[in-house]
Amino acid sequence: MTVFKALVIDAYRELSAAKLFWLTLGLSALVVVVYGSIGFNAEGMTILFGLFDIESEYIRDGSPWARGLYLGIYSNFLVTIWLAWVASVLALISTCSIFPNFVSEGAIELTLSKPITRLSLFLIKYLVSMLFVMLQVSIFCFGIFLCVGLRLGEWNWMILAGIPIVTLFYSYLFAVTVFVGMITKSGIAALLVTGVFWMTLFSVSLSEGILTTIVTSQEVQADRFQEGIEKQQSQLDEIILKSPEDFRIETRQARIDKLNLDNKDAIELLGKIKPWQTGIAWTLTLLPKTAQTIGLLERWLSTDDGFDIAAIMQGDMRELEEIEEFEPTSHNALRRETNRRVQDDYEDRSLWYIVGTSVLFECLILGFASMIFCRRDF
Amino acid sequence: MSAINLKDVYKTYRGGVHALRGVSLDVHDGEIFGLLGPNGAGKSTLVKVMMTVIHATRASGTVLGLPIGHAEGLKHIGYLPEHHRFPEYLTGTQVLHYYAALSGVERTTRKKRAVTLLGRLGLEDWGKKRINTYSKGMLQRLGIAQALMNNPKLLVLDEPTDGVDPLGRREIRDLLSELKDEGHAIFLNSHLLSELEMVCDRVAIMVKGKVTMQGTIEGLTCDSKRIEVEIDGEPPEWAQTLFDKVQGRTLTKLGDDIVAVQPLLDRLRAEQFTIRSMKPVRESLEDLFMRAVDYIDNPGSHGGAA
Repeated sequence: MTVFKALVIDAYRELSAAKLFWLTLGLSALVVVVYGSIGFNAEGMTILFGLFDIESEYIRDGSPWARGLYLGIYSNFLVTIWLAWVASVLALISTCSIFPNFVSEGAIELTLSKPITRLSLFLIKYLVSMLFVMLQVSIFCFGIFLCVGLRLGEWNWMILAGIPIVTLFYSYLFAVTVFVGMITKSGIAALLVTGVFWMTLFSVSLSEGILTTIVTSQEVQADRFQEGIEKQQSQLDEIILKSPEDFRIETRQARIDKLNLDNKDAIELLGKIKPWQTGIAWTLTLLPKTAQTIGLLERWLSTDDGFDIAAIMQGDMRELEEIEEFEPTSHNALRRETNRRVQDDYEDRSLWYIVGTSVLFECLILGFASMIFCRRDF
Repeated sequence: MSAINLKDVYKTYRGGVHALRGVSLDVHDGEIFGLLGPNGAGKSTLVKVMMTVIHATRASGTVLGLPIGHAEGLKHIGYLPEHHRFPEYLTGTQVLHYYAALSGVERTTRKKRAVTLLGRLGLEDWGKKRINTYSKGMLQRLGIAQALMNNPKLLVLDEPTDGVDPLGRREIRDLLSELKDEGHAIFLNSHLLSELEMVCDRVAIMVKGKVTMQGTIEGLTCDSKRIEVEIDGEPPEWAQTLFDKVQGRTLTKLGDDIVAVQPLLDRLRAEQFTIRSMKPVRESLEDLFMRAVDYIDNPGSHGGAA
């Protein structure tokens, strides 16, 4: 315990000695203050403590839309953009040199000569090195928790789920930083390789998203064509039954033939794209799922009757759709159905798939890094 | 009991570089033991093997009666590495606390020892200052204080006076003598032969990964004891046979038997030679060192025994 405490205190001292730590904390505080400056009244919403007023029929004090918007800003913008991008980049810059410094000549000898196993030393150092992110995110999330409580009167503890989620997300990247830092003993190299790795993850995730959307879209089209064929065929059968010489038979048959052709094209295209989508989905399965890990917060914060700002941005107007009738084969209807299926697919992905496989990858990388640390002569 | 008892320590680096070729060492309790050798002899590698910083290819023996690298043993060793680098964001006191905590020393004990040791090493006014304001000599003294924080039974110091001014060196020598009197065994790795000569009870000389000589300085140099007589004028013919060596006007008789030289002096005087000086001479540690190095390079020449 004495050793663990010593390493925790040392990690805090190391971080607090870095100007970037305080800069990031200051920026986080500013973001929280700006978030807290958003308020709601009977007429609509106010920004910057009433400096700007936006009148709205829907988004006003006490409305579910106001609640959805306020929580949506947190889960979709503050966490996704601020914590998962800007603050994480700053954190990586701040922490990329921790392990290279730790194993540098002149520093490591003394630490290794202490009565603690190399593996314990490595793992404790890894955990306490994430103190930067844990502290930053904790302060940020508590700030947001207070803002939501004071503005909406809702003390939503799920907001604090952002702390483990963002820390977990960061740990996927930090494992790579540590691994590269252990091999190269260079903070810059560790940062660069982590950056490339992050971009690779982003690209794989984006490609998987795009391909899944295309595949789903083709499946929806094929389903719709099949439905159309069946509908036309039954109408044709009725017409033939009534009058085999009916003039509509030819046009109906032509329509069925056209639908069959379109259906065949859609299935052919699906057959071509599906293997790629399967391949990239498997690749993503093996890699850490950064975007989906962050997406967990939105999933946990959203409620069935809530206002889903992300869904609105994606054009998924579920509420409106139930009110209005749409032509099922229209472009908009196909897009909405595709979005709905894709969204359902993502929401059906289990915690094990998102976090479990990502943590497995992290453990693998850490295993290699710790093996190097334990076996190396310094 | 031996503080350090190493047998057949081998270390071969990747690429086939043999850093240690079967080193055997014995450091007794309560003594100051000096390890010396030229650059690249494997001294630091040996120290790092003892401190588990480097894995030996093959090794047996004990440190403080326990196998090399045993946690319980490491708990009672104080270590000052060569070219150590403490985290610059820490103050002197924080450095002492941090490394002592890694050794498992409790907070209350750390607090007391930190104050005592900073005072003992002349850093009492610097404890609260960040170490990036310290001079090299001060860092070295802080390093020694750090090595003493766990009140070690064995102190392993790698070049402890590196960067320290003459006054500081003297203080460190005095401190080492005090620590020895307090019962600590001290293993000293240094290339400053004169310093080792002044404080060490026993020494070992390492050359090319092997210990070529080991023992007390007195014991290692006893074969080199001689009496040198300096006279005026050309030495007589008979001096070539009765003295062991004649070089210029210096006549050398091996051994330290001063009585045996008296008849030779009488004869010189009788032949009207003026005796300018007569002194018993013993090989210096530097001479011994050079002889050990030379022995490895030319094994057939002279001297040298492990």
